[in-house]
Amino acid sequence: MPHKKEAGAGFTVTGEIRDEFLESLWLLEETGNGKKTDKQSVFTLAVQEGYIEDNAGVEAVINDMAAKGDILLDDDYVSLSERGRDTARNIIRRKRLAETLLSEVFALGPMEMKNAACRFEHILSPEVTDSVCSFLGHPPSCPHGKPIPRGNCCKKLAHHIRPLVMPMKDLEPGNRARITFISPRDHGRMDRLSTLGIVPGTDIVLHQKKPAFVIRAGETELALDLDIAAEIYVKIIS
Amino acid sequence: MTAKGLKKLLLVGNPNVGKSVIFGNLTGKYATVSNYPGTTVEVSTGNATIKGIPYVVTDTPGVNSLLPMSEDEQVTRDILLHEDFDTVIQVADVKNLRRSLLISLQLSEMGVPFVMALNMADEAENLGITTDLAALSGSIGVDTVSTVATRKKGVSKLKEVCRTPRHSTLSITYGERVENAIKAMEPLLPEAKISKRSLALMLIGGDSSLRIWLHSLIPDASIDALEEIVNNLQAQYPEPLGYYINRKRLLAVDKIVKSCQSRVKGARKGFRQWLGAITMHPLWGLPVLLVVLYIMYEFVGVFGAGTLVDFMENTVFNKGINPFVIRLFDYVPAQFLRELFVGQYGIVTMAVTYSIAIVLPITTTFFMAFGILEDSGYLPRLAIMVNRVFRLIGLNGKAVLPMVLGLGCCTMATLTTRILETKKERVIVTLLLALAIPCSAQLGVIMGMLAGISGEATIIWALVLLSVLFLIGWLSSKIIKGEPSDFILELPPMRVPKLKNIVNKTIGRIEWYLKEAVPLFILGTLILFTADKLMLLGLAEKIASPVIVGLLGLPEKTTTAFIIGFLRRDYGAAGLYAMQKAGELTPVQVLVSVVTITLFVPCIAQFFITAKERGMKTAVAMMAFIFPFAILVGSALNFSLRFLGATLK
Repeated sequence: MPHKKEAGAGFTVTGEIRDEFLESLWLLEETGNGKKTDKQSVFTLAVQEGYIEDNAGVEAVINDMAAKGDILLDDDYVSLSERGRDTARNIIRRKRLAETLLSEVFALGPMEMKNAACRFEHILSPEVTDSVCSFLGHPPSCPHGKPIPRGNCCKKLAHHIRPLVMPMKDLEPGNRARITFISPRDHGRMDRLSTLGIVPGTDIVLHQKKPAFVIRAGETELALDLDIAAEIYVKIIS
Repeated sequence: MTAKGLKKLLLVGNPNVGKSVIFGNLTGKYATVSNYPGTTVEVSTGNATIKGIPYVVTDTPGVNSLLPMSEDEQVTRDILLHEDFDTVIQVADVKNLRRSLLISLQLSEMGVPFVMALNMADEAENLGITTDLAALSGSIGVDTVSTVATRKKGVSKLKEVCRTPRHSTLSITYGERVENAIKAMEPLLPEAKISKRSLALMLIGGDSSLRIWLHSLIPDASIDALEEIVNNLQAQYPEPLGYYINRKRLLAVDKIVKSCQSRVKGARKGFRQWLGAITMHPLWGLPVLLVVLYIMYEFVGVFGAGTLVDFMENTVFNKGINPFVIRLFDYVPAQFLRELFVGQYGIVTMAVTYSIAIVLPITTTFFMAFGILEDSGYLPRLAIMVNRVFRLIGLNGKAVLPMVLGLGCCTMATLTTRILETKKERVIVTLLLALAIPCSAQLGVIMGMLAGISGEATIIWALVLLSVLFLIGWLSSKIIKGEPSDFILELPPMRVPKLKNIVNKTIGRIEWYLKEAVPLFILGTLILFTADKLMLLGLAEKIASPVIVGLLGLPEKTTTAFIIGFLRRDYGAAGLYAMQKAGELTPVQVLVSVVTITLFVPCIAQFFITAKERGMKTAVAMMAFIFPFAILVGSALNFSLRFLGATLK
């Protein structure tokens, strides 16, 4: 990582470190299964990523960012504040859009893609970000299958034309669709769905949405809760 | 498990593919067959003679993967991992070949030789699905037999080929990185009955259930090394490895399905599909549910608890058996023995009469109705209908199975809470079963009592119970820690239940009831008899009277009913019933006593099962809550009815 910085007591966090830190918190929350993030895992990730030297440095960053209102501290747990979350969402959005752009349009390899995207996330302006998003057709996920936070451009679009890929919860009963990806909150759910044959590439028919979602894949009929149907992304087929 | 030297046969397959029926075909003995995922938690074994050779047949719990994600799946995987067997039959639902082949592939990777029974051929035919068996056998390298287990079709052919299972040729590669990891892991793994490759894949897939077994066989350093290989591998993949592996497997399996199965389009719409859809329709599902409940009420409540009980009690026992036995005992000189068997608290006149004449007809009709619901495929659809409501009390729709079964027998229902996935759900359901769900026997007696007063009383009783159910459910979902589990439920197609299956299942359950409940009835009667002889009943009545008389506003005599209520809930209710008939209770007192005894402590059998399933501490804590709580609700009802001046006439 190019941006390593000595972090002593009383210093203020700016620029890229702030971005990196917010990004780390977002990732921890995303993979944390809805659980609160404890300081220890923040220490580990920040030091492992290498943008802060040691635990003491992370501690200083945490305290400074809490003072500024980017994050909330609750005993040993750290979470994003409303403002911090907004910033983090934009960073993640820029990064994952950049990754998608680099891998799909420029066909870069994984390492190249990661390094370049890491720099992009700090420099893309909101306008450029939305342009990239529109250019790519408002993709819902990055090449790693993780969701790309939606921007304003995607919201406008949703009212005008039907997106190519959408969560299963937005299908209408009777629709046939092919699963494009699944982005669950926890891994166990993904594993379980896959043993029932529900994986990207599987064709499904939606039978009903209430009182629960009922889908059929081949001769397997399954009932799912709304929150699971919201995590399965599909493309309508005729 | 069994005598040495006998050959062993395992049945393996997805849930609801008819394994248990094939088991019945082979052994002649019937194991519980049910449409609800996961009912075969316990493993059944039986003896079979196949072409003159005796076999021990084991029916394993249904699995969707041999990388365990539930207790059931772990049981099956552990059987394959630890036990000796000579042959394996994989039972497959031929309509769902894709998911079956997912299991075949894993058996193949384990190095387990098997044959495949492609069951439900009739249903596949109706759907216009045709399967090229020769092509399938060719691509997986084992014998395949088409069967319709419910009509015993194909079973003799299956018996022929199952003696010579073959190693499947099905195998796939998982990409260079995974394959390298497998190669690195294999030398670290212990020798086992299944291949090292399959063990490595289980570990890569995130299986933590192997840990204890591994610890006993290989040094800690090797375990650390294995873990590091898996962690390094996972770091290179954005998705969980278990999921990645399943995707790869499905890709391979899909190719095979495509090459050997075809379907005629448009053969889908049929009455059964229509019925299946209507039972879970957001609007029409409700009237269907009401009709189902009404028919059940007519069959169990009116026919079972009314007509049959009346016949058994008044004609068979009170006019036939009891006078005969009493006359017989007239020849017995000892007064003590006479009272012990045919007195007020006599074994024949009380225990046997109650359990056989009153309770047996009710449980029999209930279990028949329940069996029909199970086999028809309606229960999972019912789970969908109630899912949202159950969400409010920290459960999901799947919890409806133990709850409905609880209306038959709460003890049995407590055992089936195993099908729930999280500890939180199991504790909540166990508590609600102990508190607010009346069993069929008790329900029958209570319905009889309430019918004797007014519709109003029945409505108040039902409302109080439902409020308690939801209030306590909601509170405990807040207090008990943990997450509710995902609602992912497989829906088997609607089927016309087979009479033979229903009869067999009901007989099995009645057998269980007789073994389980009748001894407790006798024990309860003996305790009462002793207490009566020692004048303890009077004493207990004195001690409890401030509560019974003061708070609940009931006559002192009802104390006896509450004491017996602990032995059998329905037994206690029956005591109240007798008092009502004798004109010793006013309508208000009937309602208060009925509400209190419904909520009151579970019977002894249920308490023991609760202790066994949830631990003694939890069971005692539940009792400590239920006992005062039932009195509290009863008293509150008593005071409000009196305050309002209700007579309920």
